[in-house]
Amino acid sequence: MAGLKLTKICKSYGRVDVLRDIDLEVPDGAFVVFVGPSGCGKSTLLRAIAGLERATSGRIEIDGRDVTDERASERGLAMVFQSYALYPHMSVRQNIAFALENMRLPRAEIAARVARAAQMLRLEPYLDRKPGALSGGQRQRVAIGRAVVRDPKIFLFDEPLSNLDAELRVATRKELAALHAEIGGTMIYVTHDQVEAMTLADRIVVLNAGRIEQTGAPLDLYNRPENRFVAGFIGSPRMNFLKGATTQDGRIAAQGFAPIDAPVARLLPAGAACEIGIRPEHVHLVDAQAADATAKVELVERLGGESFLYVRLADGAPLTVKSAEQTPARRGDEVALRLDPAHLHLFDEAGRARRLD
Amino acid sequence: MTDRSALSREPAGASLPARLVERLWDGLIALVDAPLAALQRLVGAERMAYFFLAPNLIFFGLFVFVPIGICIVYSVTGGAGIFPFARPYVGAQHYATLADCGSYLDPHSCQADHFWRGVRNTLIFSAFQLVAMVGVSLFTALALNRDIRARGFFRAAFFFPVLLSPVVVALIWKWILQRDGLLNAAITASGGQKILFFVEPGWAMFWAVFVSVWAHMGFYTLILLAGLQAIPRDIYEAAEMDGTKPLRVLTRLTLPLLWPNLLVVLVLVLIRAVQTFDEVFVLTGGGPGTATLMVVQFIYETAFANQTQNFGLASAASILLGGLLFVLTLLQLALARRKAA
Repeated sequence: MAGLKLTKICKSYGRVDVLRDIDLEVPDGAFVVFVGPSGCGKSTLLRAIAGLERATSGRIEIDGRDVTDERASERGLAMVFQSYALYPHMSVRQNIAFALENMRLPRAEIAARVARAAQMLRLEPYLDRKPGALSGGQRQRVAIGRAVVRDPKIFLFDEPLSNLDAELRVATRKELAALHAEIGGTMIYVTHDQVEAMTLADRIVVLNAGRIEQTGAPLDLYNRPENRFVAGFIGSPRMNFLKGATTQDGRIAAQGFAPIDAPVARLLPAGAACEIGIRPEHVHLVDAQAADATAKVELVERLGGESFLYVRLADGAPLTVKSAEQTPARRGDEVALRLDPAHLHLFDEAGRARRLD
Repeated sequence: MTDRSALSREPAGASLPARLVERLWDGLIALVDAPLAALQRLVGAERMAYFFLAPNLIFFGLFVFVPIGICIVYSVTGGAGIFPFARPYVGAQHYATLADCGSYLDPHSCQADHFWRGVRNTLIFSAFQLVAMVGVSLFTALALNRDIRARGFFRAAFFFPVLLSPVVVALIWKWILQRDGLLNAAITASGGQKILFFVEPGWAMFWAVFVSVWAHMGFYTLILLAGLQAIPRDIYEAAEMDGTKPLRVLTRLTLPLLWPNLLVVLVLVLIRAVQTFDEVFVLTGGGPGTATLMVVQFIYETAFANQTQNFGLASAASILLGGLLFVLTLLQLALARRKAA
């Protein structure tokens, strides 16, 4: 297994810059997830690491060795594709063994490695089947088996769960986490699904428009986003954003709410315009007497253990409220709301987070 | 039959000419719709299919099934009469004439020696053409499937000869290959001696195959190119990640995945090779001697070109050739179905 270092990686297609000055270090054995909206460059970055795309400039090092100009086949990496990319005319066994045959390993060793991978991924009953006769989840396991069997320096996963249904996605996610715990390899995983990112990653790299917005542990990104983009992207439902300003008496006046005493207010001068972010679980349903604002319910999603209320404030601003219990509120009802002042996020006009710590 | 209200809906603010066209269209639809709706009420919706199929079936019957029937009648009747009722029944006599051979490997020993020469030449032509056509088409398709410069131009260029009439193709190449043709001019200009391409049997057969491959490879290249482009790109990327060498990619991935298309091409080439007539006839006239005489040319000459026109014998040879083509077509259909499955 190996670490990875990217230095000033850029990738352009003609005049379109897809990756801009990407600097990143992935430590040996880490599970790093690239996450970002469609078109942010996460798959291109993964393919540049794999060697399937040539970086326009910059340097890629694997285990301290410069591999920037090496072909994909020379980098010693394994990739699991979104479409699985299994060889349809070969059996599962042949698919898994193919790379080992390319390496001209002895037959006995190939058989042993295939058997080990098949056992680990519970593929033994399907070894003689063709990919067309397998379910999506089984195909995904074959694709992972094909990567595992090579004992690569780094595993690359390009949205590997996106073709699976919701239930299978959760199950396969758990299997991937278990696999990482078992083999302990360096893994780089691309997804647009932040739940996958939050649950699988040691570190998340948030990409936007070809740049890294923030890198960090999942909860760090959730609790301490460095900018408005990360704050809005990480978390589901997404963070609420309200226009606001600091008041002369050192409080924060959020759009549609009465001024609130919040510690972050002192980070900006009195009267400064700002944007206030607050996660849905930090907007509380309260009695009218304790409320900072009232809002009209537009939609209620009842998930059993928790509920999401999509409400509209008196001035028309939308807000999402997460209630940890089953709420009786219905569409059209008026609800009283209170913001948790300890969990307010403050963003300056450039969208940068202002924090006390 | 037709939702007239939907058809007559005009977009708000449509211009006068647009509205007129719309009205005209509605009128035409109504004109066709009324009698068809009446017919449907009379025969029922399910039987309408026969009504729609009838024009094509009549056309097909008239120009395909009726001639096949006449051909069968001719093959078992004799004499010089044109109309079937004017021809006496001779049973399998023509088939017996065709089959009367001392040794099928030696056309001289056969009563219908030109037929067996045609069979032998057609087999040789088909075998060489099959190998050359599939090989060249595959190589071209592989090349055109790569990210090369001016790929669109090359694709069009290789397909262009397919659009030419076979007679035009043969005349172009005849002009190039004849005694005082372009190729011999080039050979003599570079100090060589003229080669009589249409006098030496080996050369004549070579050029017959070459011209046929040149004229038709674009079509088969297109089929193979479509097959190559249907192979997902990420399979090649997975192979690259797996450290697969290019030759192994070709033999272990590309060719097996292209195999259904290759099979279709193999059978189509074979069917066309067995039917070959026009190009070779115009190019070599079947010569020198009978060196490039094909079965279809034998049929043509026996029925129409020889002084004594023997429709019966020609028809019997046609039926035999038709039988072979029928088997090959069934094979092609079976392969196409397997590919679709």
